[in-house]
Amino acid sequence: MNGWILIPVFLPAAAGIFLLLSSFLQHLREVKRHKIARTQAEIEAESADLKKIHILTAAVLAVSAAVSLAAVWSGDKEVALLYLMKGIPLYFKVDAAGRLFVTVVSLIWTAVCAYSFAYMKHEGEERRFFGFYLLGYGVLIALGLAGNLVTFYLFYELLTLTSMPLVLHNGTRESIMASLKYLFYSMCGAYMGLFGIYFLFRYCGTLTFTAGGSLDMALVQDNRGVILIAVFSMIVGFGAKAGMLPLHAWLPAAHPVAPSPASAVLSGVIVKAGALAMLRTIYYVVGPDFLRGTWVQYVWMTLTLLTVFVGSMLAYREPVFKKRLAYSTVSQISYILFGLSLLTPQALTGALLHTVFHAVIKTGLFLTAGIFITQCGKTRTEDYAGIGKRMPWTLGCYTLLSLALIGIPPASGFISKWYLAQGALDAGAGVFRWLGPAVLLISALLTAGYLLPIVMKGFFPGKDTDTGKDTDTNIDTDAGTGKSQEPSVWMLAPLAICAVLAVVFGIFPNPLIQYAEHIASAVL
Amino acid sequence: MEFVQNLPFISIILSLFSGPLSSVLDGKKAKRVNIAVISIIGVMSAAVLAYVVRTGKAFVYMMGHFPAPWGNEIRVGVLEALMAVFFCVIMLLSMIGGVREREIQIEETKQNLYYVMVNLLLSSLLALIYTNDLFTAYVFVEINTISACGLIMIRQNGRTIEAATRYMIMSLLGSGLLLLGICFLYDLTGQLLMSNIQAAVRALDASGQYHIPLLVSMVLISVGLAIKSALYPFHAWLPDAYGYSTLSSAAILSSLVSKGYIFLLIKIFYRVIGFGIVRESKVIHILFVFGIIGMIMGSLSAIKEKDIRRMIAYSSVAQIGYIYMGFGLGTLPGVIASIYHILSHAATKSLLFVAASGLTDSAGDSTDFSDLTGAGYRNKLAGIAFTVGSLSMVGFPVFSGFISKLLFAQAAVGHEIKMLPTLIALAISTILNALYFMNTVIRIYTPERRRGNEKQRVVPLREQPAKSAALVCFIVLNIFLGLSSEPIIEMIRTGLGMFM
Amino acid sequence: MNAIIMIIVVLTPMIAGVLVPVLPFRNRRQMMFYIEGAVILTSALVISMLVNPPSDSLILFRFTGDLSVSFRLDGLGTVFAGMVALLWPLAVLYSFEYMEQEKKEKYFFAFYIIAYGVTLGVALAEDILTMYFFFEMLSLVTLPLIMYTLTSEAVQASRTYFYYMVGGAAFAFIGMIFILNYGTTSVFVPGGVLDMAKVGEKTDMLLVIYVLCFCGFSVKTAMWPMSSWLPKAGVAPTPVTALLHAVAVVKTGAFTVMRITYYSFGTELIRGTWAQNLLMTLVIITIVYGCSRALKETHFKRRLAWSTVSNLSYVLFGVVLMSPLGLIGALCHMVFHAVMKICAFFCAGAVIEKTGRTYIYELDGFGRKMPKVFVAFTLSSLALMGVPGLCGFISKWNLAKAAVASENPLAYVGAAALLVSALLTAIYMLTISVRAFFPGRDFDYETIRDVEDPGWMMLLPLAFFAAAMFYFGLHPQTILNVFESIGAVMP
Repeated sequence: MNGWILIPVFLPAAAGIFLLLSSFLQHLREVKRHKIARTQAEIEAESADLKKIHILTAAVLAVSAAVSLAAVWSGDKEVALLYLMKGIPLYFKVDAAGRLFVTVVSLIWTAVCAYSFAYMKHEGEERRFFGFYLLGYGVLIALGLAGNLVTFYLFYELLTLTSMPLVLHNGTRESIMASLKYLFYSMCGAYMGLFGIYFLFRYCGTLTFTAGGSLDMALVQDNRGVILIAVFSMIVGFGAKAGMLPLHAWLPAAHPVAPSPASAVLSGVIVKAGALAMLRTIYYVVGPDFLRGTWVQYVWMTLTLLTVFVGSMLAYREPVFKKRLAYSTVSQISYILFGLSLLTPQALTGALLHTVFHAVIKTGLFLTAGIFITQCGKTRTEDYAGIGKRMPWTLGCYTLLSLALIGIPPASGFISKWYLAQGALDAGAGVFRWLGPAVLLISALLTAGYLLPIVMKGFFPGKDTDTGKDTDTNIDTDAGTGKSQEPSVWMLAPLAICAVLAVVFGIFPNPLIQYAEHIASAVL
Repeated sequence: MEFVQNLPFISIILSLFSGPLSSVLDGKKAKRVNIAVISIIGVMSAAVLAYVVRTGKAFVYMMGHFPAPWGNEIRVGVLEALMAVFFCVIMLLSMIGGVREREIQIEETKQNLYYVMVNLLLSSLLALIYTNDLFTAYVFVEINTISACGLIMIRQNGRTIEAATRYMIMSLLGSGLLLLGICFLYDLTGQLLMSNIQAAVRALDASGQYHIPLLVSMVLISVGLAIKSALYPFHAWLPDAYGYSTLSSAAILSSLVSKGYIFLLIKIFYRVIGFGIVRESKVIHILFVFGIIGMIMGSLSAIKEKDIRRMIAYSSVAQIGYIYMGFGLGTLPGVIASIYHILSHAATKSLLFVAASGLTDSAGDSTDFSDLTGAGYRNKLAGIAFTVGSLSMVGFPVFSGFISKLLFAQAAVGHEIKMLPTLIALAISTILNALYFMNTVIRIYTPERRRGNEKQRVVPLREQPAKSAALVCFIVLNIFLGLSSEPIIEMIRTGLGMFM
Repeated sequence: MNAIIMIIVVLTPMIAGVLVPVLPFRNRRQMMFYIEGAVILTSALVISMLVNPPSDSLILFRFTGDLSVSFRLDGLGTVFAGMVALLWPLAVLYSFEYMEQEKKEKYFFAFYIIAYGVTLGVALAEDILTMYFFFEMLSLVTLPLIMYTLTSEAVQASRTYFYYMVGGAAFAFIGMIFILNYGTTSVFVPGGVLDMAKVGEKTDMLLVIYVLCFCGFSVKTAMWPMSSWLPKAGVAPTPVTALLHAVAVVKTGAFTVMRITYYSFGTELIRGTWAQNLLMTLVIITIVYGCSRALKETHFKRRLAWSTVSNLSYVLFGVVLMSPLGLIGALCHMVFHAVMKICAFFCAGAVIEKTGRTYIYELDGFGRKMPKVFVAFTLSSLALMGVPGLCGFISKWNLAKAAVASENPLAYVGAAALLVSALLTAIYMLTISVRAFFPGRDFDYETIRDVEDPGWMMLLPLAFFAAAMFYFGLHPQTILNVFESIGAVMP
C-alpha cells in the first residue's frame, strides 16, 4: 500500500478546510453581534488565536513537507485512489519529473510560510490566508504526483480555485477584479487544455504518463491534423497559467495586488504548474517525436520567444516594482517553455534547471518586494532610492538574486541559460537555431536593465535624492539618518535562503544537472 | 318493410309541420314544441342508426310508390343516420344553451316565429341529409337559406339586417350556381335521382363524351355549395351573420347549416358524380388549395379580431378550410377525416359560442375583449367550457379536435404530393389557432386590474341552469369524441361504403 | 400483472393533485403532510417499479384503431422516471417553505403534483402517440404554474410559453404522423422503426420531416431560435422554475428528442446527412448563445434560465451525434444537469424568498449571511463549469468523448463549443459567488443585517443536491453503467 504518499495532499487540505471553516464561523459571529469596536479581551484572544493558527500551519506544513520528501525520494511508487470512469482512475505516481516538482514546491512553500507569519500581520484575515495557503500546497503536491492527465487536470483546476482567494486577499475592488481576471484566464486555459485531453484520450487509449508518449499511431494515421490542432490548443491553454502569449495578461494584473508571499508562490511555483502541464503533455503523453518539425512546434517556439522578449520589454518600462517582477516572470517562464518547445535533450535539461532556479530566484525577488512594501510602504521603483542604506541585508540579497536571474556566472541563471542556448543551437529548427539564443541574450540584457537600477539607486542614491524629508506613514524621520529598517528575522531568513540557494546552485550545479539530464534522457 | 324505415320520412315531415303549428302558438309553447320535436327526432334518428348499423345495409324509402324517374326517394345509410342524430343533439343543446338570449333579444311577439324557423331549418337539414334526389335537395337548400336568414334577422338591429341581407345575396348566388349545375347534370343525363345519375355519368365518362359540360357542372355545384358553406374566399358574409345574431342562431348556423351544405357536396361527389371521376378532375385540387388558404387566412383574420363572437366566427372559416382540405386530398381517409371534422367542429364550435355567451354575460353582454378580462373567474363553468373548446380547436389530445387533426394528418401522409403542404399547413394553423384561442383563455383568467367597470358581475352557476346543463353536455360530448372516436370513425367508414 | 403499477404511478399524483383544492384541510400542516405523502408514495412506487421492472406493456385506453395510450418501461424511461422520482419530493419539500406566504398555494400544489404524474407518463410512454399525448398535457398543466402570480408579466410569459409549446407540438405532430404511417410499429424500438420499403426513395422528405419534428420537440428544450420562452417563464415561483424549467419540462423535451431520434427514426438514416449537420449547427449555436445571453443578464433567475438554455443543448448535442456514445453522453448530462441546475435555482429561490432581491448586483456580501445557500450555489457553479470531482465534468467528458469518436469535424467544433460555454459559465456563475463572498473590504454588512439562511425544508434539498454532485462526480460508474446498457442495445 502506497496510500501514505497522499498524506501531504490530504493533511494540508484538511487543515486548510478547517481553518477556512473557523474563519467563516468567526465572521458569522462578528456579523451576528453587529459590533464594530472590540474589547481588550477580544483583541488578546485574537492574538492568542493567531499563535495557534501559526503553530497549526507550521506543524501541518512541516509534517507534510517531510512526508512528501520522504515519499518522492524513496523510489517510484504508484497508487490509484478511485476510478472516475472506466479506464480513468484518479491515479498518482512518483516519477523523476514529479520528484523534482514536489521537492521544489515543498522547499519554497515552507520557506515562504515562515515569511508570511510575519508578513500577514499587515494584511489581516490570517485564517483565510493560511487556509487557502495550505490547500494550495496540497493541490500542488497532488499535481506533482498525478500519474495521468485527468488527475493532473483535476488538480490543475483546483489549483486555480484555491489560489484565486490568495490573489483577492486584501478585498479591494482592484484585487477582486484582478483575481477574476486570473480565474477566467486560467479557466480559459484549462478548458483549451481539456479540449486537447478529449482528443488525446481517444488517440492515446490511455492518459497515464508514459515517458516518450503513448499515441496510438494506428489510430493517428488519418487524423494527424486534428491531433495537432488539439495539442496546439493544449499548449496555448496551459500556456495561460505559465503566462505565455497570448494568454499572459492576467499575470501582471494579479501579482501586484496579491500579498507578497502569495505573489512569491504564484510567481515562483504556481506558474510552473503550466510548464509542468506542458512537460507532461508533450513528453509524457503526446511524445516529442510526434511534434518535431510540425507547424505546432514552430508556432510554439515563436510564441515563447515573443513572450520572452515582450515580457522583458514590458518589465523594463514598468515603474511599479511588483508589476515589473510580474512581467519578468512572464518573460522568464517562457525561457522554460522555449526549452520545452525545442524538443532536444539539452534544451529540456535547461528548461528543467531553469524551472528550479527561477522558482528560487523569483520567490526571493517577491519576498524582497514584500519587505520593501511593508517596511516603507512604497510600490514604485523610483521611491526605492537609498533603500540600501536602511536595509542593506535585504538589498544585498536582492542583488544576488538579480545577478542570478540575469545569468551572470557563477550564479545559477547562467547554467540554465547556457543549456537552453546549447539546446537551441543543436536543434535542427531552422531559423530558431540562432534566433533563440539571440533573443535570450537580448532578454538577459533587458533583465539587467530592469533589475539592477534598483540596486544602484538603492545603494547609491546620489546627492540630490533626499530620502529624509519623506514624512509618509511608515518611514519615520529617523529613516533619513540611515537607521536600519531591516525586517524581522522571520522575513529575512527565507529571503536569505533563496539568495544563497540561487548562488549555490550556480556554483555546484552538477547533481542537479545530472538529475535533469536523467529526466531528459528518459523521455527523448 | 319495417316500421323503422319510415322514421326518416316521419322526422322530416314532423319538423316541417311543427313549423306551421308553432306559428299559431305563443312563444313559450312554441319553445316546448320545438324542444320536444328535436328530441323526438333525435330519438327516432338514433333508432334508425341502430337499425342501419344492425342490418349493415342502406335502405331506400320511396315516397308514394312512384318509382324513378318520377318518384322521390329517401336513402338512409349509416352515415346519414349518424349525421341526423348528431345534428339533432347539437341543435338541441344549442337551443337549450341560448334560451335566455332568445328571451332578451327577440321581441315578445316574434318568439314563436323563431321556432318556426328552427323547425323548418331542421326539416331542411334532415332532407338534405336523407334525400336521394337532386331536385329535392335543391328545394330544401332554398328552404334552408330562407330559414337561416330568418334566424339571423330575428334579432332586430341594424347589423343583423345588414348581415342577413348579405347572407341572402351570397346564398342566393350560391343556390343559383347550384341550380345551374344541377340543370347541366339533368341535361346530360336526363335523371334526377342520384343513383340513376351516377350510372349515366359513368357511362358518359366511359364513352368520353361531354367531358367539358360535366366538368362545368361539377365546378358550378362545387362553387355554389362552397359559397353557401363559406369556403374562403366566399366567407365575407359569415362573421357578421354569426357574430351579431342571437346565440342559438349563431351556434346552429355555424355548426349545422354550413355543414349541411358540405355534406350535400360530399354526397354529390360520391353518389352523383362518382368519386373516381371527381378525383381525376382538377376541381378537387382547387378545393384543396382554397381549403388550405382558408385555414390560414381565417385564423389570421380571427387573430386581428377584438370581438369574441366575431373571432369565433372567423375561426369557422378556418375550420371549414380544414374540411375542404380533407376531401381535397381526394382519398378515402381524407373524406373520413373531413366528415369526422364536421362532427367535431360542430360540437366544438357550438360549445364555444355558448361558452362565449356565458363569458359575455359576466361582462354585461359586452363582447369586447377588454371587458372579458378575468371573466373566467366570474363565470367559472363558462370559463372551463371555453378552455375545453379552445383546447379542442388547438388540437389537444383528449379533445375531439385532436382526433380530427390526427385523421387529417394521417390522410395527408398517404398522399404523395400533398403530404408536406398539408402537414405544414396543419402545423401553422395549429399555432395560429393557439394564438387567438389560447390568448383568449389566458385573458379570461387574467385578473381584472381596472376598477369601476360596473358592467362586470359574477355569474353564479345556478343563474342559468339551462345554459349550464348545455355546457356540461357539450364538454362531455367533446371529450367523448376525443376519447372514443373509434366507433364513430368506423360508422363513417361503413357509411361511406354504403354510398357506393 | 405487475404492469398495472405503471398506471398507478401515473395516476396517483394526478388524482392526488386534483384533490388538493377539494379536500378540506384543517390547517396548512395537514395539507403539507398530504402533499408530501402523496409525492413520496408515488416516488416509492416508482422506485419499486424500477427495481422490479414490469416486462410487458399495458394499454390505458384507445383513441382510434391501434392508436392507444399505453405504457412500457425500458432503459431510457427508467433513467427519466428515476430522475424525476428523486427530485420531486425534494422540490415539494422546498416549495412548502417557499410558498409559505402565498394565498392560493392549494392550486399551485395541485398543478405541481399533476405535472409529476404527467412527466412520469412521458417517461413510461410505450409509443410515440402516448408520448405526444403526455407531452401536450405537460404544456397544459404547467401553464397555470407560470401564470400563478397573475401579474401582467406572468400572464405575458405564460402566453409566450404556451404559443411556443403549441407551436412545438404542432411540428412534433408531423413527425408523429410520419412514424405512425411509415413505421413498422409506433412502439419505441432501439434503432428505429422506419419501414424502409415504404420510405423508399423519399429519404429527403424523411429528413425534412425529421428536422421539423426534432425542432418541434426541442422547443421544450428551448433550442435556438425557440429559446426565448424559457427566461420569460422565470416569472413563475422558483420551485416551478427550478423543477419544471430546469428539469421536468425541458428534460421532457430532451427525452422526447432522444426517443424519436434513437427509437423511432433511427440514427442510421440521419447520420452524416445535411439534417444532422443542420441540427448540430443549431445546437452548437444554442450552446454558445445561451451562455452569452446569461452573461448579459443581471436578473438572477433569468441568468440561470439562459444557462439552462445552453446546458439543455449539451444534451441535444449528445443526441445529434447520432451514436450510442452520444446517447450516453446526453443521458449523463440530462441527469447531472438536473441536479446541478435545480440546486442553483433553489439557491436563487432561497434568496428571493428570504430577501426579495432578484438582481445579481444586489447580492453583495450575501455569502457571509447565507453561507449554506451560497456554498451550495458555488458548488453548483463549479459543477456546471465542469470542474473535475463534481458531476458536470463527467457528463462533459462523455459528451466530448462521443464527439471525438464521431470523427465529424462539426462535432469537434461542438466539443470546442462545450468548452467555450464552460468558460462563459465560469464567468457568469463565479462572478455571483465572488460578489457574495467578497463584497470588498469597505462593504457595510449593516445594510443586509436581516438576511439569513432559510429553514431546513429549503436546506435539506440543497444538502442532498450538493452530496449528489460529489457522488456523481467521484463515483459515476454505477450510473454510467445504466446509461451504457441503454447505449449497448442500440444497433
